[in-house]
Amino acid sequence: MKLTKEPGSARSGIGDWYWQRLAAVVLAVLLPLPFFLIIAVYTGGVDQLGLLDLLDNFVSRLLHTLLILALIVHAYMGLKVIFEDYLPQIGWRVTLIGSMLVVMSGFGIWWLAIIWAWGG
Amino acid sequence: MQCYKFGHVTGEGSDMKRRKPFSHGPQSPAASIYRWRPTMIASLAHRISGLLLVLFVPLYLWLLHGMTGSPEDFSDAYDWLHSPLGKMSLWLLGVALAYHFCNGLRFLSLDAGWCESRAMMRLSARVVLGIAVLVAIVLAVLL
Repeated sequence: MKLTKEPGSARSGIGDWYWQRLAAVVLAVLLPLPFFLIIAVYTGGVDQLGLLDLLDNFVSRLLHTLLILALIVHAYMGLKVIFEDYLPQIGWRVTLIGSMLVVMSGFGIWWLAIIWAWGG
Repeated sequence: MQCYKFGHVTGEGSDMKRRKPFSHGPQSPAASIYRWRPTMIASLAHRISGLLLVLFVPLYLWLLHGMTGSPEDFSDAYDWLHSPLGKMSLWLLGVALAYHFCNGLRFLSLDAGWCESRAMMRLSARVVLGIAVLVAIVLAVLL
């Protein structure tokens, strides 16, 4: 007898689980930094020149690159689980997970373009 | 003996014809079924704060774009941050980030097998929810 499985169930999922935790550890270290950066600008503690000093260097570009990669991995896994839990229709799941990948890749490329262009 | 595959009952079984294939997958956490406990609130709040944080990624990118642009762009971004909408966004971002951060650490420790007893899970759920409320109050006062 030929058996068909639901989409996604052909794999154990341990890889997704592991990557989500790995990305979580990276985010736990990196994600508070942008928040404090925005707060520093908000309070006036950092002006534009100070901000550019903080951002326009190799370390900052590297950290922002790591941040967006970890964000995409973590948000993709997280949203996928939410879709899978609350959307019973396979068609909607596939559509939304697919669009999510396209939008996230787009944002990722835009993000990388912005941060690697700082200071010319 | 019956063997459930893909919602159908296969093998011998008198109710074979009456079973319908799943049209609904398991929906977890099934908020309408389980009792509301701190652990379930913590779990659902983790998802909600995660969704909010995803929405803030484009906002951060837009702010970065503005703040690293011309001096006028910078002052526009600065003024937006001080507008009511900007302040509210900062507050929401701070609360969602603080909560997702703390509960994320809680989840990681549970994955590592620490504090897994029922009592500890409920206590830690209360603690992270309490921290989020505290951050919400502190940010509301400071911003």
